[in-house]
This record gives sequence, C-alpha cells and structure tokens, in this order.
Amino acid sequence: MPPPAAISHQEDEFRANLDAGLWIKVFKRALRVRNYLLLLLFAAIVTSLIESSLVFLIRWAIDGAVEHGTAAPFALYAAAFATYSLAFGTSVWFFIRISGNLAHRLAHDIRLEGFQRLQELEFSYYDTHPIGWLISRLTSDCDRLARIIAWGTRNIAADFFYVVIVSFALLWMNWQLGLIVIAALPPFAVISIWFQRRMLRSARDVRRYNSQIIANYSESIQGVRTTKTLVREQQNLTEFQGLTGRMFAASVLNARQNAFYFPIVTTLGAFASGLALWRGGYLVFTDALSLGTLVAFVQFAGHFFHPLNDIARMLAEMQAAQAAGERVMGLLATEPKIKDSAEVETRIKNEKLKIKNESEADAVAAVAPDGHSARIGAVEFRNVTFHYETGPDVLTDFNLTVRTGQTIALVGASGGGKSTIVSLVCRFYEPTSGAILVDGLDYRERSLLWFQSQLGIVLQTPHLFQGSVRDNIRYGRLNATDAQVEDAARLVNAHPFIMQLEHGYDTAVGENGNRLSTGQKQLVSFARALLADPQIFVMDEATSSIDTETEQLIQRGLETVLRGRISFVIAHRLSTVRTADCILVINKGRIEESGTHAELLAKRGHYYELYTSQFRRELEAEVLERDLAC
Amino acid sequence: MHGQRLRCIIAFICLLLAVGLGYLVPLAGSVALDHAIATAPTLEHAKIPVREISPLLATVLAALGGAENLRAKLWLAVVAMTGLSIFAGAFSYLKGWLSSLASDGIARDLKDRLYNHLNHLPARYHDRANSGDLVQRCTSDIEIIRQFFAMQIMEIGNALILLLTVLPLMLLLNPWMTLISFLTIPPLLVYSYTHFRNVRRIFKSIEETEGVLTGIVQENLTGIRVVRAFARQDFETRRFEVPNAEFRDKSLRMNFLMARYWSICDGVCTGQRGLTLLCGVWWVAHGTLSLGELFAFAAYLVIMLAPVRGMGRVLSDLGKTTIALARIGEVLAQPVEADDAPRSTGSQTGSDGQTPASPATTRSNAPTAAPPVHGDAGLETGGTRAGTHLVVRDLRFTHQGMMRPALEGINFEAAPGETIAIIGPSGAGKSTLMHLLLRLYDYNGPGDTGSIRINERELSTIPRKEVRATTGVVMQEPFLYAKTLRDNLRLGRYDAPQHELENAARDACIHESITGFDHGYDTLIGERGITLSGGQRQRMAIARALVKKPPLLLLDDALSAVDSETEALIIRALRRRHGNATTLVIAHRLSTLAHADRVLVLEHGRIVQTGTCAELESREGLYRRLWQLQSNIESELHETSFAA
Repeated sequence: MPPPAAISHQEDEFRANLDAGLWIKVFKRALRVRNYLLLLLFAAIVTSLIESSLVFLIRWAIDGAVEHGTAAPFALYAAAFATYSLAFGTSVWFFIRISGNLAHRLAHDIRLEGFQRLQELEFSYYDTHPIGWLISRLTSDCDRLARIIAWGTRNIAADFFYVVIVSFALLWMNWQLGLIVIAALPPFAVISIWFQRRMLRSARDVRRYNSQIIANYSESIQGVRTTKTLVREQQNLTEFQGLTGRMFAASVLNARQNAFYFPIVTTLGAFASGLALWRGGYLVFTDALSLGTLVAFVQFAGHFFHPLNDIARMLAEMQAAQAAGERVMGLLATEPKIKDSAEVETRIKNEKLKIKNESEADAVAAVAPDGHSARIGAVEFRNVTFHYETGPDVLTDFNLTVRTGQTIALVGASGGGKSTIVSLVCRFYEPTSGAILVDGLDYRERSLLWFQSQLGIVLQTPHLFQGSVRDNIRYGRLNATDAQVEDAARLVNAHPFIMQLEHGYDTAVGENGNRLSTGQKQLVSFARALLADPQIFVMDEATSSIDTETEQLIQRGLETVLRGRISFVIAHRLSTVRTADCILVINKGRIEESGTHAELLAKRGHYYELYTSQFRRELEAEVLERDLAC
Repeated sequence: MHGQRLRCIIAFICLLLAVGLGYLVPLAGSVALDHAIATAPTLEHAKIPVREISPLLATVLAALGGAENLRAKLWLAVVAMTGLSIFAGAFSYLKGWLSSLASDGIARDLKDRLYNHLNHLPARYHDRANSGDLVQRCTSDIEIIRQFFAMQIMEIGNALILLLTVLPLMLLLNPWMTLISFLTIPPLLVYSYTHFRNVRRIFKSIEETEGVLTGIVQENLTGIRVVRAFARQDFETRRFEVPNAEFRDKSLRMNFLMARYWSICDGVCTGQRGLTLLCGVWWVAHGTLSLGELFAFAAYLVIMLAPVRGMGRVLSDLGKTTIALARIGEVLAQPVEADDAPRSTGSQTGSDGQTPASPATTRSNAPTAAPPVHGDAGLETGGTRAGTHLVVRDLRFTHQGMMRPALEGINFEAAPGETIAIIGPSGAGKSTLMHLLLRLYDYNGPGDTGSIRINERELSTIPRKEVRATTGVVMQEPFLYAKTLRDNLRLGRYDAPQHELENAARDACIHESITGFDHGYDTLIGERGITLSGGQRQRMAIARALVKKPPLLLLDDALSAVDSETEALIIRALRRRHGNATTLVIAHRLSTLAHADRVLVLEHGRIVQTGTCAELESREGLYRRLWQLQSNIESELHETSFAA
C-alpha cells in the first residue's frame, strides 16, 4: 500500500502579491472560449460609456430649462431619456449574458479538460492527491476561477473605463474643479487596498472556523456513543463553545471592518462633492461655470468612489482566488508520467494506416494496435526494484515469471508488497529499476491502452458504478449483447442471485453498489471481468463479510475466470490458496518462500505460521456464521 | 436569542440615525445651491424665478448669517456635508457592529444549543438519524438564519425607515414630484418578488445537477482502477460530459433570468430617474419647483431605488429562513435522555412521551448533572480492588419497532473482579446487552421486564452519567477523536498522570507504536494527523478504557482487528490486572475466551450454555465446535508434515 501523503488542507493560502503570470495564463485560456472575452470587454466599455453619459444628459436638460425656461424642448428631453433607458437596459442585458456565457462555458471546458487529464494521470498522482481534494478542483475551484474571469473582467474593465471617462469629463467641463475631485483618488486607493486585504483575511478566518465547526459536528454525531460512555458531554461542549466563540469573534471583526470601510467611501464622496460645491460656487458667482455643470459636478463627485471600491474588491478577490487558480492550472499542466512513448505512438499510427489499407479483419485480430502480437504468453519480472514517490524500496530485485494458465497466490503480512506487485503488473506504476517483460518485450514498449484493456481486475472492495446490474457487467465489453451479459453471469454463478433481485438484471445497484452485499458485488465484478475476456487476471480477495454459501459460489466462479489466463491473486481465503499453482510468501519486498500448499506446510516456515494464525481465525469466524445460518 | 433583542433595537436606532443623517448630506448641498449660489446677484440674468423658502430653513439661514454671509463662507457647505457624512458613517459603523454582534450571537447560541442537544439525544435517536442531514441543519440552516438577521432584517429596517422618513420629506417638498418619483416602484417590487421565486426554483435544479456531476466524478475517481483496467477512459469522459453540459446549460438559464431581471430593473430605474428629472425640469422652468429641490429629489430617488432593487431578494430569503428555522426546531424538539431516573421503572413516559426538557435547562443542568465521578468513583472502587457486583435477572428487552425481543430470559451474575466471556453468532444480542449495561438503551419499553442490579442498586435508578463514568467500554469499531493520542487516552480521566497513560498503553500493546510516531504521544489523529489501522484503534481504545480504571469493563469484540501475537500479549496484561475490575468480554476467538472465568453462550437472545472453558469443552455446542476446529487444524498440519 502506498504511504499516506501529507496534504495541506489549507484551502486558501494568502498570497502577499498578485501573481501576474498566473492570471495572464488564466486569461489566455479564457480567450479560447470563442470571442467572449473580447465581446465582454467591448460590452463593458459600452456599458460604462452609457452609464457615464447620464450626467451629460442631466446637465443638458437642466441647463436647457434654466436658459430657455418653458420654451425648452421638453419632448426632445423625454425622447432622449427614453432612448437612454432603453439603451442602458439593453447594454446591461448583453453585458450579463456575455459574462455569464464566458464564465459557464469556461468552467465547463476547464472541468472537461481536467476530467480528461485525470483519466490519463498515473496512480502515483492519486496517491498524493486525495479524491476529495481532486473533486473540489473540478467543482468549486473551476467555478470560482471562471467567475473571477468573467466578473473580474467586468468589474475591472467597466469600472476602470467609467473612472477614466468620468475623470476626462470632469477635467473637460472644468479642469480646476476636476483636479480637486481627482486629487481624492490616490488616498482613496491606498485606504481601499489596506481595508480589502484585512477584510479578506478575516473572511478567510471565518471560513476556516466554519469548516472546523462542521468537522466537529460530524465528529460529535459519529462518536456520540463514545461521548456518552466517556461522559464527555460537558467537556465537548466547552471545547465546541471555544470554537464557536472564535468564529463569533472573527465574524464580528469582519463585519466591523466592513462597517468601517463603507462610510469612508461615502464620506470621501461627500467631501469631494462639498469641495466641488465650494469652489464651483465661486466659479458660478464669477460666471465662469454654468449652474447645470455645477450640479453635474456635485453629483459626479459623490458617485465617483463606488466603482473604485469595486476595483479594489476585485483585486483583493483575485488575490484570494490565486490558490484556486494555481491548483486548477497545475492540474491541467500535469503531464502523465505513464504514457505511450513517442516511438510507441508512431508505431500505433503506422499500424492504423496499415489496417486502413489492408482491411483484412482476421489478420488484424492477432496483432495489437502497436504492431506486436496480441497474445500474451508470459509475464516476467526481471530484477524489479520499486519504491513509491516518497518512502523506502517496497520491492527489491524481484524476479518472477508467470505463464498462461498459471495462478499465482500472493500471501504475507500487510505492507509486505503484495499490492505493489499487482499494481506493477497492471502498469499502474512502473518499476523504478529493472523491467517487466511481456513475452520478452518490456511492457513500456507496448501500447498502454491496449495492455490495460487485456487486464481483468477484481478488487478486495469491488467497485461498481451507479446503474443496473446489467450496465455494470457490460462495463467489461460495451458492445456485449444481453445474452452475452447473462452468459457471463451464469459462468461465475452470479445469475441465480441476480434473478432473485427485484428487477433481475435491471436492478439498480445504488451508489458504489451499496444495495448489494460484498459477496454479490464480487460476483458481479467477476462477470464483468469475464465478459472483457482478459489475458491477465488480477484479484485482491476480500478477507471477510462473505457467508459460506457465497464463498462456495465465488470459488466455483473463480475457477471459470482463471482458466487459460495468467492470474495473480492476493489471497486471504484458504480455498484460493490451496488451489493455486504456486504460492509466494511475500515479506519486505522479497519472496520468502514459494511452492504449493502441501510443500510449504511441510517446510514449517513462514507459510506454516501464517496458516496457523491467520487462517484459523477465519475458520473460527466461519463456525460462528454457520451457527447463525442454522 | 432574547439577549440579542436589545442589540437589535440599538442597531435599529443607529440605522435610523445613519440613514437620517445620510439624507441631510444632499440636503445641505441643496440648501447651499438654492440659497447661496442660485440667488447670487451675478445669476440674475437666469430665468429661474426665486421661490419663497420655508420658515424653518429661513431661521437656519438667518442663524448662519443669511444668504449673503453664506455666499462668502461657502466652505461651510464642505464642512456641513463632510461632517454630516462622518456622523452618519459613525452610526452606520455602530449599526454594522451591533447587528453583527446580534446575528453572529444568535448563530453562535443556536450552534452551541444544537451541539449540546445532539450530545444529549438518546442513542435510539442517533440510530435512525441521517448524520449528513443533521450536520446540514446545524451549519447551512444556521447560516441562512444568520444571514437573514445580519443583512435582510437591516435591509427591511432600512426600507421602512426610508419610507417613514424620506417619503414625508419628499411629500413636504413637493407631493406631485413624489408621486411621479414612485410611479414605477410598485410594479418593480412585484416583478422582483416573482423573479426571485423563479430563481430559487432554478437554483435548486442547478444544485441537483451539481450533485450528479460531483457524484460522477467521485465514482470515477474511486473506481479509477476499474476504469483503467477496462480502458474505459473515453466512455467515462462521455458519461461525465452529460451532466457537465447540463450544468452549464442550467447555469446559463439562470444567467438568462438574471440578465432579464437586471436589464429590466436598471432600465426602469433609469427611466424613473429620467421621468423625475424631466418633470422636475418642467416645473423648474414653470417656476413651481426650485433647482435645489430638484437636486434633492434626484438624490433621494437614487437612495430610494437601491432597497427597491433588493426587496425581492429579501422576501425570497424570508421564505428560506422560515424553512431553516422549522428544520432546526425539529431537532431541538426531540426529547433528550432523561438524566434523572424515572420514578417507576415501567412508566413509558420516561423515554417516549416525555416532554422535551427545554434545551436551556438541560444545558444549565448539565454541569451539575455531571458529577466529578470519573476519578473519584474509579479510585474508590479501584482502591478496594473489587470491581462491580453485577446481577441480571429475567431480563427481556425489545428494540423499538421490532417484534422479536433482542434479549429474553437473561439471568447471570458476575462477582466483583470476575471475567465473563460471551460468545455467540452475530445478531445474538451480545452488543445489546452491553448497551443496556451502559444505559444507552433503557429496559423500560412495552414488554420489557427484569432487572439489572449494580452493587445492589437497580441500574435504572442510577443516573446515566454515573453509570457511564464507572464503566469502561471498548467497542468493536472504536471511535477516536481528532485530537492528540495523549488527549484521546485522557478522555476517560482528565487528570491521569503521564506514567499511568504509558502503563495503560503498554498493557494495550500500543506504547511502542505511539513512541514510533514522529511526535509520540502528541501525534494528532485524523485528517490533519495520522491514520491509525483498525488494530491500532482498538488498542488505543483499550488503553483509554484502562486509564479510566473503571470497576466494570466491557470489551465488545475489542480484539478482532489485532493479530494473534499481540492479542496474546494484551490478554496476558489484562490477566495481570485481573481482579481490579469486573470484566465482560464479547469474543469470537478461542484464544480470547481462554482467560475468562466463565463463558456464556448466547443464541437468539437467550443464554443457551454457561460454564468454565473446561466444562463447555465436554458438552455439545458452539464452544465445543470452535474447540474442535482447532484440533482439526492441528491434525491437518500433522498429516501434511507426515506426507512430506
């Protein structure tokens, strides 16, 4: 078994600085989603242009009324405002549609690409990345990234243009007044960034405490009997209250920061309006400024700071989402370590061409896609040494040859390297040194997809997919007919129990096949493997939870499956061990003993010890089960 | 929650002041514009007729030295606007702080109450409860409530205050302008309410699709070996693509709704501003409205439109909050374990029909109800080296909702310090007996009879916490907390000194594993620490029980995952401690049974055999069959060695 990897569960490490390179990479990817990104930029500019032109519209109307009184062209004003509202509404519509399309399509594409990448990555990647971790990369991280790209573009582009346009407009209307308002910008930027960072940090604390509280709840629910028997109720509550207290403090801090920050924005706006009114008032007295311009100025100055506030928040959010971005981009950039070499790939390509030219189906069947023979006669470990990415050698200088028709039983203490041997056979991992040969040829020179499709695997905890029993058996050969599926089930003795299920072959097996017992799941996975007609069969036997009757069924099914194949069985059950052609006692990565059941017992060595301790225990359990049955 | 009421009220007052002061800011600007700037002699050529000013404003103006003086001191406008804004900001800050104290306080109280309540609910409740659902009620539902209190309540308050303050102000300024300014608001409110109801529906369906998507990824990743073994990568990708595309399309549908809502909303709001302005300009031109009033109206309108746009969300959140409150209430209404023993043993109200003790009282009772029995009682009885005297008479117990009794006619006695082994096939009632001894279940349901006496006291009259504090138990699948190994060992007795921890760990054969970890006894267990194997967990649990020094020790198949050699060592250690505690052992293996003083064979809820190992060997039955198995193996070994 691979060593458990140390994974940081810190979801949101705080980065001091914005990593421009990462965001450029992310935005480059967004460019691939048709032209949404460019459209979005365009929409953002148009929207902010429209938004900022309202002030001019207002000034125009007021100045007109002041100048012309009742003679002002009111119908024209009305038409202008109506058109304006319509244009604004339309631009908002396009804007939201475009950014939504960008976000959701991008998330979809990244998810798909990530999923495909996961299908190619070698298992050592899975050893260091727990499944839960990978799932959140494909779900929440993808969404978050896509949302930031879409809305980040919106906020930064639209608000930036708005601010620029308004600044120009202010300067154009009256450069002195304009400068007064714009002078408030730099201090505002500094204050904003300072506050936003702090708010992000406290918000992250809140999230962290929240996930701790969730963990605490599930611990307390799972362990409620232990809590009761240890009379820990009061103590647990005290500890939990400490946690909720810390979350309370963090939440209140975050709320206070928010409550402090927003009045600052508003006050700055009021201050700038006041200044404009003051200076502008004098300019009006000297007739250097029209009254309408002053009204426009005062209004503008008041609303100038909210878009800036949006930009500051966006930058802070990008900083926070940086970790998510790195993880997703990292997954997409990970190259599978176990894959077809360039040489094998060209061979596969050539072979494909040949098939097209020849069109002789019979001749093709004997040849694998990589041009070599499609039959496997023997698998050989030659001086194989292996260790997982971190950790000591699990297998050292290991040698073994297995031929078609042979069943090898692997026994020994857990952690001795049995599963490693099997994983190496399946090319889920590759040897660190030495080689595994398929009919004398290193299996790295064969097509990976072809080789793995020649495997049949039944695991200790047989994995079934959600769907019907039939779907699960057919997983072994997707184009198998119903009759073929049922034949496979009959051969492994699964047919009788399947027929007893509520809907026969169409019975849904539930999540992870949970509606079936472990023994039943194993029978279904035997049928699945048999349907695939593998040349190499690998089995990691279950230790317990199978009643004697099913045990016998499995034994008979197993004989059918093993016939005429190369088989590796990690054996726990006596019955399998006894009938194996060769038993290997594996300990500390080496073969300690090998031989048949009788030979090894006579030796009185490691196997004898195992037999007398481990297997006896099973027999005892069996006696108890049999008692229950009668 | 009542403690938060004052905070809420003060927060409301702050909100009122903040909002009120906030509206004075544009008013100050308006006054300056109207009475200082627009009346300037230089502007006489303008065609705006000067209007009468209200008497109140006139007094204020006079106090400030009249329009003439104001014109000279226009900086007063800066001071007034900034100052008012700062005051408004201060109150808004107070409001934010107080409402957070209130809403987060409510959330904290609810969490604590639920946590405590869950710990005190009977084992019977937890047997049936769905833990994922419970956790969701305790976290997401509380979060919904918190958000409602933090934001929407204030939002509602804000809208109300606006309506109560700005509306009269606007009416006072100009009723016709007011009417026009509010023309589109009612239809907009109706529209936004229906919109957010639609959004909720689609949101649910998006969440479902996301669940399917996550499910497929999870299934694929957990079964990745199967996928590879059958080379089904392409098939899996196609399978994944279905919900992936569906998720995208549903999200886009949601996006469509949002785009429709916001474009209509923004278009209408802008139209409303245009309408108000246009009418205003018209009236200004006709001399029935001052320019300053128009300025004020324009500003007020922008302020009024913000809550209008959010009101639909408020209403839809209100619905969610009531649902969340009901879900939490359901859990809190479940009756907790009665701490005091029921007066009459047979009374059904003791467990089922009993009205739930209010969580608040349970909580305040909890400290007093948990007497410091752990150490004292253990030491006291441990000191006499005696252990519990246990007598079970005519016990009959049926699980709730079951027809057949789980235990029937159980009679046995355990002398202080005696070790009794219980064997039997699974489902025979062994664990149920253990649970009854711990008072996790009560034998007072309909049809339950008999008595369990512990040191001459009827079990059902001894407070649960006392029963449990004096009993050590190791379950088959023991539960360890996500704490350090040391803390886990100390759970049974907080003040246990280190050397006692180590002794217990040695006896349970876990000491060497512990010292082998990087941080020894300070190693963390769980997600952020190490993962223990099944055998290690069992040994930890045994050590934990030994640290507690209980006069009664229950081992429920506690060595099933421990290998034979270690098992022998642990049994030897337990033998050394023999006599310190009355011990009940559920076992599946002959080797475990061997050190028991007596063996009970339990089948279908009844004791079918009792006796010492030697006695049972000679009688036909389960024990004898187990015993024969061993000799069979020995003879087989003999044969094979003979054959070779």
